[in-house]
Amino acid sequence: MDFGLSPEQELLRDSLRGWLADELSIERVRETLDNDDAGVASRAAGDASAMQGLAEQGVLGVMLPEEHGGAGLGLLDAVVVATEMGRALTTVSYHSACVTAPLLLAGAGSAEQKSRWLPGVSSGKLLLSFAVGELGERDGALTGELRFVPDTATADAFVVVSGNGSAARAWLVERDAAGLEARDYQNIDTTRQLGELQLSDTPAEALAESDDLAGLVARVNDAARVVLAADSFGACERALEEAIEYAGVREQFGRVVASFQAVKHMCAETFAELEPLRSLGWYAAFAWDEQRDDAARTVALLKAHSAEVSTRSVMATTQVYGGMGFTWECNQQLWFKRVGYNRQALGGPVAERARALSL
Amino acid sequence: MDLSYGPRYEDFRAEVKSFLADNADRAPRMTMRVVEHSQAVVDWQKTLIEAGYAARTIPREYGGYGAEPDLLETMIIAEEFSAVRVSQGAAGQGISMLVPTLLEYGSEKQKRRYVPPTVNAELLWCQGYSEPGSGSDLASLSTRAELDGDQWVINGHKIWTSTAVEAGMMFILVRTEPEASKHRGISYLLVDMDTPGIEIRPLRMMTGSSDFNEVFLEDVRVPRENLVGERGQGWQIGKTTLVHERNFLGSSALTEGLLAACRKTLGAVTDEQNGGNLVHGDRLMQLEARALAMKYHGLRMLTDRLKGRNPGAAGLITKLNGCQLNNDICSLAIDGLADYGILYRGSPHAVDDGAWQKQYMFQLGMIIGGGTAQIQKNIISERGLGMPREPRATTGS
Repeated sequence: MDFGLSPEQELLRDSLRGWLADELSIERVRETLDNDDAGVASRAAGDASAMQGLAEQGVLGVMLPEEHGGAGLGLLDAVVVATEMGRALTTVSYHSACVTAPLLLAGAGSAEQKSRWLPGVSSGKLLLSFAVGELGERDGALTGELRFVPDTATADAFVVVSGNGSAARAWLVERDAAGLEARDYQNIDTTRQLGELQLSDTPAEALAESDDLAGLVARVNDAARVVLAADSFGACERALEEAIEYAGVREQFGRVVASFQAVKHMCAETFAELEPLRSLGWYAAFAWDEQRDDAARTVALLKAHSAEVSTRSVMATTQVYGGMGFTWECNQQLWFKRVGYNRQALGGPVAERARALSL
Repeated sequence: MDLSYGPRYEDFRAEVKSFLADNADRAPRMTMRVVEHSQAVVDWQKTLIEAGYAARTIPREYGGYGAEPDLLETMIIAEEFSAVRVSQGAAGQGISMLVPTLLEYGSEKQKRRYVPPTVNAELLWCQGYSEPGSGSDLASLSTRAELDGDQWVINGHKIWTSTAVEAGMMFILVRTEPEASKHRGISYLLVDMDTPGIEIRPLRMMTGSSDFNEVFLEDVRVPRENLVGERGQGWQIGKTTLVHERNFLGSSALTEGLLAACRKTLGAVTDEQNGGNLVHGDRLMQLEARALAMKYHGLRMLTDRLKGRNPGAAGLITKLNGCQLNNDICSLAIDGLADYGILYRGSPHAVDDGAWQKQYMFQLGMIIGGGTAQIQKNIISERGLGMPREPRATTGS
């Protein structure tokens, strides 16, 4: 019985946390955001040096096969990475770029497709994105609209899925394919970019047949849900640490506000909800890695619970700052929005609970 | 991450299962009462100690089974007994709080005299901590004991005393050093409940039952040798036992049982009246997610204990979360009962004679008892998160 991270996973956590603080600090993230009038930043996802640095930390290809340059590790390792990225507000759509897109490619792609794209994901040289929608196919070309697509501004290629059950099909669409129009929109989270794709008779490369493509899509989406929950957990954990620190120096009525029970209880309640969420996230990742019978249901419950807890958590920690909490200058707003994105993406809490009921 | 127990523990689990298969029919019926004192309980306790499933780590010379402490064995026993809903033997404050205290602080004579009959379930204890004027601020307690020759003379008033009527003995915190600071002036004494000068008045709870009491002590004389530890050490001793109590309150075994019962209740109602009520389903899934989070949090805390690591602040949240969760599960079950959720004991149409309503109220008591939720939040924020204490109110002008 050993419920928790391995020494190697703890090492990964500590070294990544140190590297992010030095090389991709929140100050650096903020420079990008503050200089970004249009709201579509030149984020790490489009920043070659940042991606290369993350690649050297070994975190982009954590879950990818070793034969394609990955680390061949599991979802629990990706959870360790995503938690740190949520803490540091790393400007990468990790759930799609390093989980859904490459894992679907690894599971259903041909040998040639895998060796062409996967090493680039691990090395940070190629950025993949992932989208699901209703597409029409004619002679190997796709037509239709895809919404909620991460990294539309910077991705080198998109793994796209259409259809359900045995009718599910997947393709790879390259950025410069004819008839592909990418539209960037602002989303609530300024640290990760999201947009839409319009495909008009766009040439696409089908992924080699898979016995159960729909099952594979469901499985990689579950991995992404666990990663999004971990990202939210990391965001909330750091937001709470900073709020407690601030409350320890901010004085009102002649004493630090951290000495008021109203403030302390808000922090205690937040902490008491976050710690079990961390444990549930670890178990969900473990269950997914081991393909346990309860994996899918646990993931749905985790995604829903994470949404509720992390929303309450950032609401509380932002309020610890009083009026400062509502300013652009305060970092809480960044975690607040990060959590807002993670809450809705791949199923909001009510939808995830309805899914859990049916599983 | 490794959630397997390994062959040695799987063998142990098989032994427990086989014991239960052979003996479960001899167990007394499980009740909601904290202490059920009957010959059946005493007999079952004897069987369990002989087999090593009760008083497992209490040394043999003090009436226990004498096994080395092993957290996983303890957990496997609890899991297997709870899976078949068989009593794990006598419970109560004597076994859960007094025995560990005596083993740590008691004299050899005290251990030999009191531990064996307590673990055998022949001697019941009650706890004399809270007072009308000393609840959350327990260390301000004012029941005093003065030494008169070879006897302590106790005067004061204790409250929230569960099982005072049934108990043969009380372990009590009293002020013996009025000149010392409030935490250092307290001592821990053992009192025979038959001593003249003790008056017990039952307190009726909101459930309608009288499971706890007020205890008045007037010139109650107990032998000098009934002091546990040193004079003035009582606060430190008493605090150790409160930790045992808080780890017990809010444990996830009860939560899982309540959740299963709630699902059954909702299922029955849904079929008859609602035809699949998604609103209830949504709430049920919310509760299930919270329960799962606490279950795996428990495994994480267990791992810390197995490895001898201090879980820090994460180890302080079980009582706060678990008791509120249990109360919320009851609340959903009652909502599922619709109008029937109003009915209580004796009503001809009450579901299970109002068991959910009673449990709902009882779990509110658990949120308050053993340190209120608000006190738990103070502990988490101050001891766990390092936030400063509330400054003391200045009195006078």
